[in-house]
Amino acid sequence: MQEDSLRYAFHSRILPLLLFLVLLSSPVRLWGATFLDSLGRKVVLASPPTRIVSLAPSITEMIYFLGLDERLVGVTRFSYFPEEAREKPRVGTYTDINVEKVVALDPEAGIPVYVVNPRRINQVLEAIESIGDVCGVEPRARALVGSLTKRIEKVKEAVRGKDRPLVFLVINTKPLMSVNRSTTHHDVIVLAGGRNLAEDQPVTYPRLSLEEVIRRGPEVIIISSMDRSGEHERARRQWFRWTAIPAVRNGRVYAIDSDLIDRAAPRVVKGLEEMARLIHPEITWH
Amino acid sequence: MALRGTKTQIVSPVRVLSIGIILSIVLVVVALTSLSMGPAKVSMGTILAWCAGTQSVEQTTSMILTKIRLPRILLAGLVGFTLSLGGVVFQALLRNPLAEPFILGISSGAAIGAIGGIMLGLGFTVGVPLLSFISALATILLVMGISSRHGGLESSTLLLTGVIVNAFFTAIIMFFIATVSDSRLHSMLFWLYGDLSQSKYIQLSISLPLVLIVSGLIYLFSRHLNLMVGGEESALQMGVEVEMVKWISFIGISLITGVVVSFSGIIGFVGLIVPHLMRMILGPDHRLLIPASALGGAVFLVAADTVARTIISPSELPVGVITAFLGAPFFIYLLRKRGSQWTQG
Repeated sequence: MQEDSLRYAFHSRILPLLLFLVLLSSPVRLWGATFLDSLGRKVVLASPPTRIVSLAPSITEMIYFLGLDERLVGVTRFSYFPEEAREKPRVGTYTDINVEKVVALDPEAGIPVYVVNPRRINQVLEAIESIGDVCGVEPRARALVGSLTKRIEKVKEAVRGKDRPLVFLVINTKPLMSVNRSTTHHDVIVLAGGRNLAEDQPVTYPRLSLEEVIRRGPEVIIISSMDRSGEHERARRQWFRWTAIPAVRNGRVYAIDSDLIDRAAPRVVKGLEEMARLIHPEITWH
Repeated sequence: MALRGTKTQIVSPVRVLSIGIILSIVLVVVALTSLSMGPAKVSMGTILAWCAGTQSVEQTTSMILTKIRLPRILLAGLVGFTLSLGGVVFQALLRNPLAEPFILGISSGAAIGAIGGIMLGLGFTVGVPLLSFISALATILLVMGISSRHGGLESSTLLLTGVIVNAFFTAIIMFFIATVSDSRLHSMLFWLYGDLSQSKYIQLSISLPLVLIVSGLIYLFSRHLNLMVGGEESALQMGVEVEMVKWISFIGISLITGVVVSFSGIIGFVGLIVPHLMRMILGPDHRLLIPASALGGAVFLVAADTVARTIISPSELPVGVITAFLGAPFFIYLLRKRGSQWTQG
């Protein structure tokens, strides 16, 4: 549903990203292991979990990425990627979990909860690996993370030594909002060979006045939004009257699918590749 | 009120004119100061020379001045003018010192109309303001209907009605924002606290003529309002067409309040602070009070919006935050000092 995506985008910007996995393991004791999650909590599992509830859309994406979707028995409301995730039972939204529904998905008491909290791109990769570990599919997770790492390295290599244009990433238009340096978005901009215009702001998602943006004169403007019914084109056109901005004068106002960069999920690598194409069109990408 | 019975009460056309000129000069000075303030540094000297046409500025600066700061200052002035005028008129018509478009729930009523207009896909220049006007008028009737059940408009009942209407409308607005998938509605969360950062000249060209016509019309009633403050019956006996004055004023104020709210969002307390200050300084005669409050409202909101856009620069605050910071304590002060009784008569 489209409103879901919108709501998700809203929540994902306002709330810190603590992502939870609820692991419902099978009663058969074959294998016992203790894992340390990102809060430093010990999570003890008697066996690889067979029934997993994902409590964030990005985790749902990671689980599908790892090919563990058969074990996934519950997701949150905004989990709509990949498409099949829509079919899974819902346990509320990421910010408002319905605990009863989670418990109802497993007869056992004492449900282990594993927490991941990726704030940087490499932490996204680590989170994928640790979920792979917890689920007992380490080799597959290493291989998949390896291929993501290779793609990231390729982008890094391509933009090395190039000019780093000043990039203004718009995550909300009214009022105008951007991202500071403590976001994955900032990571994406920097890895894609740009400089983040709002990196120095004290607030994570700062509200900036248009005047300030004009004053700082970004060379590239990238609007992050959902593309539906020409939303991207409309958002871009709104900038055209501010001809004092270099990005506008040089026709360098772009739009990017917000899902690719908003979610700390495997798709963020695709977001990075797209961002690098927008920031450095002079490079021949393939 | 404090000055009632003293010599300053005599309101001659000369006095009205001179106070009007003084306030206009203050408005121009405040507007020019505001024009020079913001993240991009432009000195007052440059502004004056630029206005006089003797100095040109670079493209970036001229764009910031003419397309961002100037329309915003002009709209802020017009919105302040309208809300303060609304305050003065409501206070007289309802014979209540605490009446004001925001406190009575009329601003949030107008906001409901604006949101309805957006959901229906109406245009931002005519359709949305029109619905905003209709729902502002309906809100006035609703508030008066509820609070006048036991004959007469008692202060506390009127204020409580305003509080309840506000709470109910805010709930409706939040419900729409939470359930409707329209990115324009999500932006309205910020607009609800008053936001002038999207000001455009087109909004001025729509609202300016309306505001001028309505305020001219209301000024014609200023003598009648003086009499009505003393009580509708005595005003009737003195030949005032009470019902006509009331209706024209309510419709006129709803019209302009609805239009400005659809452009600026909900900005509270302007109509409370400014008319009261003016009444303290200049006395209660509406022939002077109406123009003085309107111009004072313009000065006040231009100043408040300048603070809103510079105080946490390069970020911005909604201007409603500033007016509420000043207005809420002022409201309590008035309540403590005078009770909720109209002590003018």
